[in-house]
Amino acid sequence: MFSSFKKLLFRKFKRSETKLHELNYLFWECTTRCNLNCLHCGSDCSKDSLYHDMPLDDFLSALDTVKTPSKNFMVVLTGGEPLLRKDIELCGRAIKKRGMKWSMVSNGHLYDKEKHISLLNAGLGALTISLDGLEESHNWLRNSKDSFSRVSNAINLAVSSSRLYFDVVTCINKRNFQELSSIRNYLIQKGVKAWRLFTIIPIGRAIRNPELFLDNCQLIELMEFINKSRKSSAIDVKFSCEGYVGNYELKVRDNYFFCRAGINIGSILIDGSISACPNIDRDFAQGNIYKDNFYDIWQTKYELFRNRRWTNIGKCAECADYKDCQGNGFHYWQGDKKNVLVCHNEQLKKQH
Amino acid sequence: MKRNLIGKVIGGLSLTSAMFVFQACYGTPQDFGLDLLVEGQVKSKISGLPIKGIKVSVADNLQYEYTNDEGRFSFYTEKRDNLSILFEDIDSIQNGIYLNRDTVLKNSKEKVFLDIKMEEK
Repeated sequence: MFSSFKKLLFRKFKRSETKLHELNYLFWECTTRCNLNCLHCGSDCSKDSLYHDMPLDDFLSALDTVKTPSKNFMVVLTGGEPLLRKDIELCGRAIKKRGMKWSMVSNGHLYDKEKHISLLNAGLGALTISLDGLEESHNWLRNSKDSFSRVSNAINLAVSSSRLYFDVVTCINKRNFQELSSIRNYLIQKGVKAWRLFTIIPIGRAIRNPELFLDNCQLIELMEFINKSRKSSAIDVKFSCEGYVGNYELKVRDNYFFCRAGINIGSILIDGSISACPNIDRDFAQGNIYKDNFYDIWQTKYELFRNRRWTNIGKCAECADYKDCQGNGFHYWQGDKKNVLVCHNEQLKKQH
Repeated sequence: MKRNLIGKVIGGLSLTSAMFVFQACYGTPQDFGLDLLVEGQVKSKISGLPIKGIKVSVADNLQYEYTNDEGRFSFYTEKRDNLSILFEDIDSIQNGIYLNRDTVLKNSKEKVFLDIKMEEK
């Protein structure tokens, strides 16, 4: 009864947030070059990208259309690997100069002491680094012999800064699944305060490798692990906001599932496309900074993101939880968009 | 504004305390930190000429930067009371030899400009 009331209020809250659609979080896909060749990469990034890095001035012209940014507005540099850009500090300083915050998602491979310092000097405020297991399983997924040692060093540096809002993300797969407790202990020992766990999306080059995907039992075990870990204060463990998890909602995260793509989250992609999270099907682009005013697009378009009734098809049409889930994470609508690609809720229910 | 307030009230009532602190799936945590932009120029006390290569660092912190050809430096650092900034000549006789010095920043707002004169040894 109480739980139903909370859910009802949360639905109202979501509707209110959607109407308001305040832009809080802007991804900038500043490069699609990458120094790794990860088995699970959803964007098929590689050393030789089809695209040149977006010139800083092009991005700034679009950013400057946001005349009155919201209070906690931030720009999140992503890729590819952002640290491959030689001008990454210039980019950060230019954003900071506009009174905006900036952060970065990195594989940590190039994050050494000098880079750490120059990024802090440029005003880096938050950082996410990927660690996908203990040494063997991490290096397997990252397809690199020395990635683990480099990431480990990067984590030490990030933890040493009292200024950085920092977390580690891990993509859980069949190989690192048995290591969950060991990874958690490893991170605690390093002083990491926040750890987010993901499953892998079957897109990009990931789709070719069945070892990357958890089966239904493993997904439940993952939820149980997170739920149990959250009872300890040693490290803040959570399931990412990638999908609706039914009875595990509020047990594996601080809040109910709410995919804010296109509601509070926008993006400027490598080719200038205006969209939401970078892993969303590129067909959903709402415009392009090379011909449109970015903030006008944000204010006036994004209908498919803000009214998700169109996702009430395929398996979602018959689902009793649709009101709370609304089609799972937006990035799970790929290809012909006739059915959701992954339904965590269904996977979890199948085992009960 | 009014709608925002209503949203917050409804959100608060649904008792999910962290609902206003969200994080995109593949994004970073939100940044609630406060920064201070420390900028300035280092010159010789006697000649008034800018000094290149002076290491400008934050005490109890890894951060540092070197002055450029114009003796200028600029970096962001975590805002806190009594921030101690150190100026060190670490390049031996290159660019002259100067006595190290420091300065303590109190009650700084968002940015500060430091005009530093260093004495020759």
